[in-house]
Amino acid sequence: MTSRKIMLLGDIGVGKSSIVQRLVFDRFNMVYKPTIGVDVYRYEVPASPGREAMSLIVWDTDGDLRDLIFRHVYMKAASAAMIVGDLTRRETLDTMLHVAKSFRDELPGRHISFLLNKCDLLSAPDAAEIPKELGGDRRDVVRTSAKTGYNVQQAFIEAADAILRRGH
Amino acid sequence: MQSSGADTDAATLRTAPIVAAAKLLADRGVYGLVWFDAGLLVTARYGRLVEFVEIGDPVTDGVLPLIGLEDDIRALRRTPGSVIDLPAVTIIATPDAAPRLNLTVLWAAAEEAFLLVVSRAVTRSSLEVELSRQVRARLMAEAVVQQKSRELERANRDLEEYAFIISHDLKAPLRAIKYLTEDLETALGPSRDEAVQEGLSRLREQSKRMSGMLSALLEYSSIGRKDEGIETIDTHELVKSIVRSIPRPESMRVELFGQWPIIATLSAPLDMVLRNLIGNAIAHHDRDEGLIRIGATEAGEKIEFSVGDDGPGIAVEYQEAVFLPFRKLEPNGKSAGHGMGLSFVKRTIESVGGRLELKSDPAKGRGADFRVIWPRAIRS
Repeated sequence: MTSRKIMLLGDIGVGKSSIVQRLVFDRFNMVYKPTIGVDVYRYEVPASPGREAMSLIVWDTDGDLRDLIFRHVYMKAASAAMIVGDLTRRETLDTMLHVAKSFRDELPGRHISFLLNKCDLLSAPDAAEIPKELGGDRRDVVRTSAKTGYNVQQAFIEAADAILRRGH
Repeated sequence: MQSSGADTDAATLRTAPIVAAAKLLADRGVYGLVWFDAGLLVTARYGRLVEFVEIGDPVTDGVLPLIGLEDDIRALRRTPGSVIDLPAVTIIATPDAAPRLNLTVLWAAAEEAFLLVVSRAVTRSSLEVELSRQVRARLMAEAVVQQKSRELERANRDLEEYAFIISHDLKAPLRAIKYLTEDLETALGPSRDEAVQEGLSRLREQSKRMSGMLSALLEYSSIGRKDEGIETIDTHELVKSIVRSIPRPESMRVELFGQWPIIATLSAPLDMVLRNLIGNAIAHHDRDEGLIRIGATEAGEKIEFSVGDDGPGIAVEYQEAVFLPFRKLEPNGKSAGHGMGLSFVKRTIESVGGRLELKSDPAKGRGADFRVIWPRAIRS
């Protein structure tokens, strides 16, 4: 089975670990537990028409590393990045754009998905202030909820498809 | 400790403690070793820490962080002495807790194999890690509180807007009801029977009441949005003029006490606040003979106004309700007004950054004491 490395990036507390825990173990922990260093998971994306099953090696990174992550061996050979922001904290959405730029500079041509997480906490779908660059009807921008599981698996399946299309 | 290599027995003696220590540490899971060949298949392993690695399988099957680094690993053969380091990595294969590891890959030329050294990551002490966790958790909690505050502000704004629209828009059909009632009375003429007359009278009365309530609601929703100017006022003169303008029984005394400053403030809202409190003290007094005490005290950046009476007081269980819109303690109709007075007062004070306090406990004694904390500097 093909294996590809995918980085989970974003500010501290945006729900990176919760997303991967929901994806791999289908569980959610209400107690916030920051990631120290990097946690590595395997998730098998089932086969679909036109794509064989793929093993995603998900690197859940320490949000505190910030830009240091891009100069670290951790990033080597990554096929894609999933950049996570917290819909209830505007500043984390701005960080997503900065992280995306750094990732493109470091690994040009790799796929990037933007996960706008914690959508379950919004009082209304349009209650969050979203940077215009992440607005509109972009396929690579997905609203997720690690708490409910909304769109989590779908986001990774689409990332696997995109990795295959780009051939990285 | 090094072996000279000259005396095999002596060297064995010297290396024996090293081997024993290495075995002890490996058994205790302090480190582990994995050997793998050029095809990256595991040929041997040593130590509890690497029991998850299967002999015969590709090393990347168990050691996930090496996936993607295969070419870099093979290149180690051509660059003796170089290593690949992956510090502070946790391989999470099950929901259970897993150790944080440092991974180092090198080419062991003597064995013609790659060697993976796995050790427990101890770059930071447990205390530091725990401290880091707690600091970040606190940052997150603060962010959540800030977010809730923003949501609350937005909800309040929406509610004000809603109250404004409702009260404003409902006035038009109410006016239509009033005019239709008058038209009906005119059309029926003076000969209408008693039941019709009574019905029309009640319709007019209820329309008037609802109109008053909508006006009050409209005014309530506009508190804090009025563009009022700041004027310099003599608070003593202001209170004296308010007292003069409110009718009261001759036997009811009013006393002013304290220090009354001259301040630059929003005069109309302060007038409304004190007028309501003094008016309530007089209107809700249950005796003709009574005493209303009105005071002022300068307290740094604030001025404390107080309005106290020796009336029946307000029972503790009603002391929150009296500040809610359209709440009256007397049965409906017994007193004039719509039950908005204290809501206006509280909201107006809060809109300028002040506070309203009430002290009263009829179970212990008569009277109620309202204290207005009014800021000297009005916030924008």
